[in-house]
Amino acid sequence: MTEITGVDPKGNESVGRAVQRKEDYRFLIGRGHYVSDLRLPGTRHVAFLRSPLAHAKINSIDISSALEADFVEAIFTGESDPFKSVSLIARSALPSYIETAQPILAWDKVRFSGEPIAAVVATDRYLAEDGLELIEVEYERLPANVSAWSTPAEPLHKEALDNVLLERRFQSGDVKDALAGAEVVIERELISNRQGGNPLECRAGVALFEPGDGTLQFWSGTQVPHLVRNALAELMGMSEAKIRVVAPDVGGGFGTKAALYPEDVAICMIARLMPGTPIKWVEDRAEHLLSATHARDHRYLVTAGFSSDGTLLALKADVTCNVGAYSVYPWTAGIEPLMAGGLLSGPYRLENYDCMVRAVATNSSPSGPYRGVARPASVFAMEAIMDEAARRLGMSTIDIRRKNFIGPQDIPYKMPTRLVDDSGHYERCLDKALELFDLDQFLEEQQRRRGTNEPPIGFGVACYNELTGLGRAASAGPRMPFRTGHDACTVKVNPDGTVTVFSGVTSQGQGLETTVAQIVADGIGVDYDDVQVRIGNTDESLWGFGAFSSRQAVIGGGAAQLSALVVRDKVIRLASELLEIDINDLILRDGKIWVAGEVEPRLSLAEIARVAYLESNRLPDGMEPGLEATRFYDPIRGAFAAGVQIGSLEVDVSTGEIRILKWVCVEDAGRVINPAIVDGQIAGAIAQGIGGAMYEHLIYDGDGNLSTGTLMDYLIPTSGEIPEMIIGHLQFPADNPLGVRGVGEGGTLGPNAVIAGAVADALGILVDQLPVTEGAVWEGLQ
Amino acid sequence: MKPAPFDYVVAASPREAVQYLADVEDASAKIIAGGQSLMPLLALRLARPSLLVDINRIPGLETIERISETTIRIGTLVRHRMLCAQTNSPLLHEAARWIGHSAIRTRGTIGGSLAHADPAAELPIVAVAAGMVIEVMGPSTQRTVDAQDFFIGTLENSLADDEMIVSVISPLPERWGFAEYARRHGDFGLVTVAAAEVQGEVKIAVGGVGSKPVRMLESEGLVNDSVTLSGQLIDQAARAAAASVEPNGDFHGSARYRIGLVEELVRRSLRQLGSGQADSEVDWS
Repeated sequence: MTEITGVDPKGNESVGRAVQRKEDYRFLIGRGHYVSDLRLPGTRHVAFLRSPLAHAKINSIDISSALEADFVEAIFTGESDPFKSVSLIARSALPSYIETAQPILAWDKVRFSGEPIAAVVATDRYLAEDGLELIEVEYERLPANVSAWSTPAEPLHKEALDNVLLERRFQSGDVKDALAGAEVVIERELISNRQGGNPLECRAGVALFEPGDGTLQFWSGTQVPHLVRNALAELMGMSEAKIRVVAPDVGGGFGTKAALYPEDVAICMIARLMPGTPIKWVEDRAEHLLSATHARDHRYLVTAGFSSDGTLLALKADVTCNVGAYSVYPWTAGIEPLMAGGLLSGPYRLENYDCMVRAVATNSSPSGPYRGVARPASVFAMEAIMDEAARRLGMSTIDIRRKNFIGPQDIPYKMPTRLVDDSGHYERCLDKALELFDLDQFLEEQQRRRGTNEPPIGFGVACYNELTGLGRAASAGPRMPFRTGHDACTVKVNPDGTVTVFSGVTSQGQGLETTVAQIVADGIGVDYDDVQVRIGNTDESLWGFGAFSSRQAVIGGGAAQLSALVVRDKVIRLASELLEIDINDLILRDGKIWVAGEVEPRLSLAEIARVAYLESNRLPDGMEPGLEATRFYDPIRGAFAAGVQIGSLEVDVSTGEIRILKWVCVEDAGRVINPAIVDGQIAGAIAQGIGGAMYEHLIYDGDGNLSTGTLMDYLIPTSGEIPEMIIGHLQFPADNPLGVRGVGEGGTLGPNAVIAGAVADALGILVDQLPVTEGAVWEGLQ
Repeated sequence: MKPAPFDYVVAASPREAVQYLADVEDASAKIIAGGQSLMPLLALRLARPSLLVDINRIPGLETIERISETTIRIGTLVRHRMLCAQTNSPLLHEAARWIGHSAIRTRGTIGGSLAHADPAAELPIVAVAAGMVIEVMGPSTQRTVDAQDFFIGTLENSLADDEMIVSVISPLPERWGFAEYARRHGDFGLVTVAAAEVQGEVKIAVGGVGSKPVRMLESEGLVNDSVTLSGQLIDQAARAAAASVEPNGDFHGSARYRIGLVEELVRRSLRQLGSGQADSEVDWS
């Protein structure tokens, strides 16, 4: 693998340049079009009655007074069909996995505070909420349990009396022997904090069942429209041909919108029961904090052995993930524990590994995918181990990492969990990050401040490997009844020579229209401005799994590239026939056909497209009209993205206040398609990671009530808390058509470990629990 | 998260506004000015007034006037933004900069903040420390209330159901200090301290440690009894303040931590008072 060093400034490729995003103009002038902007005539609004209790039997639901109110148009509960006969059951073939049946509207039992129980339909949301107040539910309270590592008083599901929904052991080598021979054995208990995705736009949907032809249209702020269509057809007993799912502009997702929720199914079912009436539900922030998926509520019990030279000899871990009340649909309760155990050792060589992971149900909102999926917590755990081993061995935290990195010479490196690392450029990332950070200058300043009254400073480092763009082999782990390895893309040259792309990717603000357009523009050889990309509509694109696992640039981008190349070939074949010149002498560039070595083009793409569509008489024998291709791409394995973050901070010891001084991130994103988008993804992910490291914490009280139910208590960092960042890149191409590695999530992996490491460096306080708040720092200093 | 039904009227004068309040039988009418505290309460249905009386269009309540060499009168509709911009009271300028974010400061009003009586909000704390006097009107009454007596408990003030704040008279402190620690820029402080010297007497009020701004009487005594404000005396006063408070802990900070913050922030505010300089150089206005 040779490193890509940049684009030719005189060249005309689009890939590699920060071209203006196709989305920006409409967003900047306020013409983005979100689900909330969809105002269909006759729309009715839904409000959900949500359980005020974390765990209770429902004895009765009395809707009689609500039905009498003239402003209530309809009320639905889970006691009647179609709601009663359907539940969300995430499937997996993993041994020991226990399925849970998540009701659309809970009717016999509620399992978390915020679980939907009834839906009121009215002409506006205000009246629908008025209607909620008229419903009377009689509950019989059951003991609630919100901690995954305390003994439950009352099981949530009769199928799992110990609340354990999944256990899996990863084993390789001989941990016991290796620990016995270790110079230093580290034992730590590390706990990460429950968080939520909190996109700017909460969940939203409009469903319309058309009685004329029996079709269902569902506009949804989803990250996974094709999966939603597939699931809705099954759950509602409809044909997929009669369901259209549209994800218009979506204001952030972060994984939260990659699940299919009871509320989504409920509004589609209501639409079918009220044919011809558009049914709209827009989640508010209180509902989001309470009932959208949560994540990162984990405990790691880790034992690690090192030799005297700092070599990691063995890693033993017991990982418990709080997965909430239900196994999240369709990803299963395995999503976090399997990721935590599968990649705990990160970018370090390891032979002896023994890790038990488990998914434990509690009376809290279900855990689902959230940017980085378990990795911000597991990197925190692994890097805490590395930092402490370095201290115990008297090594620098940098040297111990160098000692253990998987290197280019090890590639392909089979990890003890059998995942194959194809990167190996961790040390290069670290070197570059150290250079950008200027460690020597930092250490000098740290030394100078010691013994003065100035605030102490510390630095922390996080090294990680993010598995991105998982193909069918790499995505096999959860053993779900689908493999998320492939996407499709259709590329069409229009009769005027412009290009329309129907891609299976989706975008929640990441600029996929731009990224795909850049790939297709170069793939065919046309101007970026002549390519339009249509996404998020199941009637337009053939297939795409959607946005998760940092997969779309790799997989959707690969499909776009393959399709574009097929179209380009046909254009050149047709041009060759028309010009009677050998195809090997023809070049398609800037939307024109050139003969190699000539100064002027011979034909424009528009002229060729016109022949392809309108002048079949000029087509060679056997050539079909049209210029279109659809291709799937599956990378089979995945592409590991190497990343290193280094940050420094100072601590005001009188208040515990942490002030971040400097933040550096170097990632190997493979070939960078659009540098501005890539840097934006990294910066945004780091900001979200800092939020998780220092501020964001979903806290339940002992009764299972969410204490952090508004943004006054669930603290999301503002621009005031986020530092300037220095972002550097390596570009070692991955083994896929574009040479790209996913970059959407990696940034979230570093901050927990960086902040915890830096606080330890500054103050000598070991951080075992996240978030690192000023209060915790202050307490640690007393 | 949509308000329960309510009626809405626009008042043209303070007298009309309080008459609206008086005319509501169940006494559940509420004044709305900037809405920065009331609107979230309405949206969460934690407040369910039957009538909202909008006073935003009453003329004459958005002014700050100098009524003597050492006092100003602040109309109830003066926005936090205007407190930031005014130069009569550097203490109010400094404290108002700490309120929320610019959108909040643009709408929120001094009367609204005082009437809302959030024990962690900046203006009630400053009002107590500076010894402000609140001018109140009812349908047939007009009276003044010392800030010290205005706040009764969390979100509780001493206004009758049919009274509103019309203006606030604020002494201009000779010396002052203000210190706040919030988890994020713009949040309510975990602990906020205002210290103000008016006519030679220093008062210190602390927010975030009780159901209303709490005076640090022992610390005040130490400062007022001493001729000079030495570092040693400041430390002593700060420790006395910390020893006198009994805050509740929550997930934003334990009781012990808040007590620690009281000590540090009282120290900072007294140092600032002693030096006569604001210690923050950031201009958030």
